[in-house]
Amino acid sequence: MENSELTQHYSQQFNTDLEEIRTKVLSMGGLVEQQLSKAIDSLRLSESETAEQVVANDYKVNAFDVDIDERCTKILALRQPTASDLRLVLTVIKTTADLERIGDEAKRVARMALRNGAADAGRNLYLRIEHLGEQVREMLHRSLDSFARMDVEEAIAVAHEDRKIDREYESIMRQSMTYMMEDPRSIPLLMDIIWSARALERVGDRCCNICEYVIYFVKGKDVRHTSLEQIQKEFGE
Amino acid sequence: MGNSWVEEFWQLALIILGGILLGLLVGQVWIVLVVVLILYIGRNLFNLQRLIHYLNDPNRVEIPVHFGIWGVIYARIERMRNGYHQRERKLNGLLTQFQSSAAALPDAAVALGSYGEIRWWNQAAREMFKLRAPQDIGQPLVNFFRAPELIDYLAQGRFAKPLEITAPGNSYKKLSIRVTTYGNNERLLLAQDITDRVMAEQMRKDFVGNVSHELRTPLTVIAGFVENMQLEEEQIPQQWKKPLALISEQAARMRSIVEDLLLLARLESAGVKMQSARVDVASLIETIAKDGRALAGDRLDISVHIESRQQVAGDLGLLRSAFTNLLVNAIHYTHDGGEIQLRWKKVKDGCEFAVEDSGEGIAAEHIPRLTERFYRVDVGRSRERGGTGLGLAIVKHILQQHEAVLRIESKVGHGSTFSCYFPAKRCQTETQ
Repeated sequence: MENSELTQHYSQQFNTDLEEIRTKVLSMGGLVEQQLSKAIDSLRLSESETAEQVVANDYKVNAFDVDIDERCTKILALRQPTASDLRLVLTVIKTTADLERIGDEAKRVARMALRNGAADAGRNLYLRIEHLGEQVREMLHRSLDSFARMDVEEAIAVAHEDRKIDREYESIMRQSMTYMMEDPRSIPLLMDIIWSARALERVGDRCCNICEYVIYFVKGKDVRHTSLEQIQKEFGE
Repeated sequence: MGNSWVEEFWQLALIILGGILLGLLVGQVWIVLVVVLILYIGRNLFNLQRLIHYLNDPNRVEIPVHFGIWGVIYARIERMRNGYHQRERKLNGLLTQFQSSAAALPDAAVALGSYGEIRWWNQAAREMFKLRAPQDIGQPLVNFFRAPELIDYLAQGRFAKPLEITAPGNSYKKLSIRVTTYGNNERLLLAQDITDRVMAEQMRKDFVGNVSHELRTPLTVIAGFVENMQLEEEQIPQQWKKPLALISEQAARMRSIVEDLLLLARLESAGVKMQSARVDVASLIETIAKDGRALAGDRLDISVHIESRQQVAGDLGLLRSAFTNLLVNAIHYTHDGGEIQLRWKKVKDGCEFAVEDSGEGIAAEHIPRLTERFYRVDVGRSRERGGTGLGLAIVKHILQQHEAVLRIESKVGHGSTFSCYFPAKRCQTETQ
């Protein structure tokens, strides 16, 4: 009787630890979502204060990264989890790394907003960057939701969205190059625009990664270097 | 109940009597008696076993004994169980009623357990947070609603003030979140859509700001020309001299109202780039007192009491405006021969600047409304005194920007004290 009580208590604590890192990684996700949102807003509204907030708060994202890594290391060392528990810890570690990178990209976008203030040149391009930003923000939100629910369908759907983002990015690149050829004086500004577009496109890629981790966790299969079609075929729901 | 014991007693008495008789018959009274008593104890032990068996599964096992003490025990158990069942049914009924009425709430409501896990939500919450049953039940709400402000708000556990926050996924919708605790550390989270209210507030502020800005230019023109006209005194017919003076006065008055409104609008929108420097309050007060004495002349006695050399982190210009405002008010509302004291001292958890006057005082019912814009205690009197009616509102906002509060104490006929309380984190000692 006493033995079974002990093991229950033991595994309860374990479960709590696992639940905690899951919640922590989602909280980190929430912060990164907000950073990305603010960075895009500061670009759209030319608000230097918002942009400064993003840059200032980046340390919080890094603090999360360090904290979660420590917890996961402890769990791996002390509990030696197996099967789905092990996959969960690995998923959390990888997702944390990607979220930290997304935070960095958001900081990059914010810095660009600070440098350029209210620029009239390339206004049209700014609008397209905003549009791209919206799509990426949506993607991040949905990836994190799919992680929260461990929803493979949603993860696959979100991964699909990355194609649109890549296409939009390429289109922005082409338009920037046209502007640059027309008026060389606008090159510095357009360079910044290209950097921001690139940063956003990379955020999209990282969201894709997170979706792949979700699939890995649920299905136990590593789909990181598999094409989307193959994934769909395997889990075609 | 008493009867059953009597019954039991008689039973035991009969058994013992029977035993003695049997013993006499057989010739071994004591042995027979012992055997009979052992049998009696055995029967009771057997009944105990049946009781345990019954209690293991009261729903399935039939009541073994209906009479005697044991019967009473079983009857009591039955009664207790019926009581429990009734209460359970009643609670379930209430719960269903509550859930259906909460489902009708226009506000989103989510019931959370002690770990912040989702227990239940109503329709409005499902739409707002895109929750899905049954997989989301038991998960912490913050896994889905991930805004850092909400996470901090729920963690700190003090819910006296609601939280205003942007809705998840949508940067245009604003929500007001209220949390109430009940039961065993359970919480109910209510989210109200206040987008309209926030937008209306914003429009109001923008409107005031725009109107004030637009009024500035025409007023400047009027005041400028009137000033020019007044310079050419000889050219002005006598009958127009006084009207011109009045026009100039009123134009100046309008301009200061407009300037005050603009300052207020800037303070409210937190667009004011506050300098964050160390302000030597003591010397600021001395300067203000000097200005005050110039304004009041010999009418009043203005004294300065510096009890601390603490400095404040903030904007010198804004603080100067705020303190001057308070002093000017004190001067205007104190009769000749009165006195005004300016104090700067260290208090518990912070530092405080106070203006104490021996003026006419303010009735208690006016005090909460004093910092409202254009609020006048005595309309006729204030109009003749001049002023914009915005002074205290400006003071309040400046203090807010410095994380400070304005406190007002007053007694009619004795005087008033206006204090600015700065929290410890804003106060610094001179040498730092």
